[in-house]
Amino acid sequence: MDNNVLSLFQLCDSNFPNGAFSHSFGLESYIQADRVHNPETFADWLEIYLMEQLVYVDGLAARIVYDALNDQNLDEIWKMDRLLTVQNTARETREGTQQMGKHMLKIADSIFDSPLLSLYKNRIYQKEAFGHSAIVFTMTGHYLNIPKQTTILYYLYSSIVSLVQNAVRAIPIGQTAGQKIIYSFQAKLEAAINKIEQLDEIDFGAISPGIELSQMQHERVNVRIFMS
Amino acid sequence: MPDWTGILELDAEERQGKTVTKNLYFQGAFKIMRPVYHQNSNQPCYYILNPGGGYLDGDTYRMSVTLGEKAKATVTTQSSTKIYKTPNTQAYQETELFLKKGSYLEYLPDPLIAYKDARYLQRNIVHMEKGAALLYTDILTPGWSPEGEHFSYDSLRLINEIYLDEELVAFDHIKLNPNEQDMDRVGMMEGYTHLGSFMVVSEKVDSQLLDLLYERIQKEAGDFKAGLSELATPGFTIRVLANSTQVIERIFKECHHIISLEWFQKEPSFLRKY
Repeated sequence: MDNNVLSLFQLCDSNFPNGAFSHSFGLESYIQADRVHNPETFADWLEIYLMEQLVYVDGLAARIVYDALNDQNLDEIWKMDRLLTVQNTARETREGTQQMGKHMLKIADSIFDSPLLSLYKNRIYQKEAFGHSAIVFTMTGHYLNIPKQTTILYYLYSSIVSLVQNAVRAIPIGQTAGQKIIYSFQAKLEAAINKIEQLDEIDFGAISPGIELSQMQHERVNVRIFMS
Repeated sequence: MPDWTGILELDAEERQGKTVTKNLYFQGAFKIMRPVYHQNSNQPCYYILNPGGGYLDGDTYRMSVTLGEKAKATVTTQSSTKIYKTPNTQAYQETELFLKKGSYLEYLPDPLIAYKDARYLQRNIVHMEKGAALLYTDILTPGWSPEGEHFSYDSLRLINEIYLDEELVAFDHIKLNPNEQDMDRVGMMEGYTHLGSFMVVSEKVDSQLLDLLYERIQKEAGDFKAGLSELATPGFTIRVLANSTQVIERIFKECHHIISLEWFQKEPSFLRKY
């Protein structure tokens, strides 16, 4: 068994303390509007969230960052860190994503002896960077010599798993239904990886209106269990 | 430099409290009318015309507007932007806005109507100096087809990049791809036909203004879905999904009204077009 893969698995663990359990990324707005209310409607939302947001934002960023790491082009990474933050027009999602990135970075930096993770942490401390999980995860995958596509796949997988677990609690849906959704997403994750590979850099940050609106609306949701 | 279908350069500056045209150049399928000073205000309103009547396959348009220190202007279009079918190459428009210290630009183009099988890419790149302010709106309609079906165009993409003192502070990329996506689905247009965006970047934006705007939007009648949120820089975005241009225009007019009163103690000018 490859120890490096296990090391990256650690960041994918749903118990990994990055704060993902407190962010729904707009899902809660749909739950409150009763647009998402059972396993089917949730899986429908999750597929759009994967193919329309994660692919164009986190996924494409991960690909660009991985290539930049190969080219030792650090400026490109700091550029993506800024883009990932400012393209997020919904404040809660933007701030939540930044917090999650910082949490993941803090732990990854304390586990792995990667100078780049330390540099990223320092830049955030100096307010020269914002922090984003997609970059921390990609830096870690690259450091562990995990291939690009595998790194991106694991990142997307861990995002899907934490959203399913949040849905299990919030909608609620059964644990078994949740696990079935995770299993059914294997093919969709593969499709997502293929799509990311085909995108051009100008495709970055292309979002779908409904997804974004739900994230903006969450700010004014009165009763809430999630921070975004 | 590509051979632009239409090109327009406008440079305005403030002279003794009044904003006036400093330089103006246009060629091809872009034209600008002599500015109108509505209600004797000191803020000119420029109307852009597309004499060709619409954007065709492979058309490229470029516009640049520069406002000098403390200059204030409104830039709008004379009528909606129409994108006809683009069998070979998408239509493209890029707009660069340069806003010097203390200047204020309202860039309020009319709704975009994409015809059957049209593809369009639009990039707005805004370079602001500290203390400048921008108010931008756009409205995407479901387009036009002979059969009257909605979303018969192929794709619309609108990218806004805003730089403050040369640092990227906001990035907005809307993509509607009815060729590949089911527009009615959750997360997409969700059964609505029109999408409006209202974006403001200014030091003067605070959470109190956002509350005021939110309350006002809540009071609007009609079937629509709206969200607003603060940007990573002082500023905000309002996004509205609705079933007509009129509903979105009414909401945006109200919001524009509130901002004008808060910031300039005056009502915005009515944009006479016909």
